[in-house]
Amino acid sequence: MQQTTQSDALLPPGFGELEGFVAYWAGETNDIRWDRRSRAAMAEIRRFYDAMLPRGEDAMKYLEKFPLAEMPDDATRLFRLLLSLAHASMAVEMHRQPRAKFSPFPHGMHIGRGPWPQGS
Amino acid sequence: MNDALKIELPQITKANGLGTGPIPIEPYISPEWYEREKKQIFGRAWLCMGRVEQLPEANSFITTEVEVCGVLVLITRNKADKISAFHNVCSHRSNMLVLEPAGTASKFACRYHNWSYRNDGSCLGVPDRENFFDLDLKERGLTPIACDVWEGWIFINLQPEPEVSLKEFLGSFGEAFRDAPFPAAEQFFTIDVGNMRANWKVTIDAFAEPYHVPVLHTATVGATFANKLNPFSRPLSGNARGSHRTLTTFGNPDYTPPEDALVERLAYGNVDTGNVLGSDVNSLDAGGLQNHPAINPNRAPSWATEIAWMFPNFIIFFSPGGFFSIEFWPTSVNTTRWMAKVHIPVAQDVRQRFQQEHHNCRMGEIFLEDVSNLECQQKAMESGAKKEIILQDSEFLLRHSIETVMKWVEAATVREVLK
Repeated sequence: MQQTTQSDALLPPGFGELEGFVAYWAGETNDIRWDRRSRAAMAEIRRFYDAMLPRGEDAMKYLEKFPLAEMPDDATRLFRLLLSLAHASMAVEMHRQPRAKFSPFPHGMHIGRGPWPQGS
Repeated sequence: MNDALKIELPQITKANGLGTGPIPIEPYISPEWYEREKKQIFGRAWLCMGRVEQLPEANSFITTEVEVCGVLVLITRNKADKISAFHNVCSHRSNMLVLEPAGTASKFACRYHNWSYRNDGSCLGVPDRENFFDLDLKERGLTPIACDVWEGWIFINLQPEPEVSLKEFLGSFGEAFRDAPFPAAEQFFTIDVGNMRANWKVTIDAFAEPYHVPVLHTATVGATFANKLNPFSRPLSGNARGSHRTLTTFGNPDYTPPEDALVERLAYGNVDTGNVLGSDVNSLDAGGLQNHPAINPNRAPSWATEIAWMFPNFIIFFSPGGFFSIEFWPTSVNTTRWMAKVHIPVAQDVRQRFQQEHHNCRMGEIFLEDVSNLECQQKAMESGAKKEIILQDSEFLLRHSIETVMKWVEAATVREVLK
């Protein structure tokens, strides 16, 4: 399959350093993003948090160019990474560990429908 | 600290005429008691099933289950916008009729033998009808369930002929919350737990007292609901309203995200206690609900939530930023299915959508802190070490709930409880 370098880029120009996080942290729904964060080791969560946080404001500014529900694929991935930052912050800023203290996992709790778009 | 900052913290339990003694544990663990609740409470009370907006247009339908009574429910809106409920059971060989959780349809066909019904419950057609014996379609419609609507909330009653109307059932609660605003009623995100290992009352009780919040929820919202003036997060008002009950909880007006909560700060430019739980973070008064007389009835300055608990198993939480509901459905004596529906406006831009994700995450984490706690509590209650629990004034809703549960379980008639 022939593709140009441009279309091979997973993320918009200027966000290339975050590409390594796309496979795990650009989950499609809120429930998936929550599950991924819940299963990750603290070091992994921290690595993503530390890389994404300084780009959070830039990402929001970039994404504001598009209608919320109709972003191109690379922007959608960046959007999902941004949303995963909220999940990572639960571990980093609140629990100081991957999941709520003493909480069971799997816990059987689901976000049946998340906020939208990119909710469910 | 000047006097103007002092908070008036009322006495609630005695003022509402409740007892003050210990509460027996038996109703939370006994299979025999659960059987009585099934018949006397869930078999007789009006049960809230959700909002009319879940049936957004003519011919919308939803299906659900009341596990405790083993009842399958189909709720429809017909083309005349009448909302009705039926047993979701085919009249032929009693199979489950509609399998989809929600959708739009003016008629339903059973997948077993293609018997079909209109969404007003009438039987529309039977294949190879001539081969039956004296079959009268008029007698073979869906079995209706009593259904009524109050302020946009849909209720059913599983008594074939309800002893009391919905209006009588809601009584002073219904009066107090007449015309209450429900902003963003059309949209909600859900957080649900399919089968939690705790009795339904143990579960619902965790959402109805602020005393545990600064302790159990230290990581997520502890600082939001207590401060030096009110370190134990005592409630600002509490009212028994017939079989129902309300409580106003305190919000810390000084709350700001901690210095190191950088994502929280990124998400919330202008955070306020009142909207940490409320969904519309950009609004301090979504839908004008601060003006409603039953919401924060004492007009306390630093209120966070009005907990409006409709007996037996449905709570509406109002806060300055909006509202959410949680419903608790027993699936056995010590298991519960529960679901939160958090109503939020449609995000207008990326930042608001990011805030909503953060809000959704935090709600999930708060609930998760409760899950393991409640499963531990259920196990400990069942251990038999204690025969009773002790409740303080801030746990007023729990006391009113269990007293009401006991009344309903004992009462021969519903009218007798409500008088």
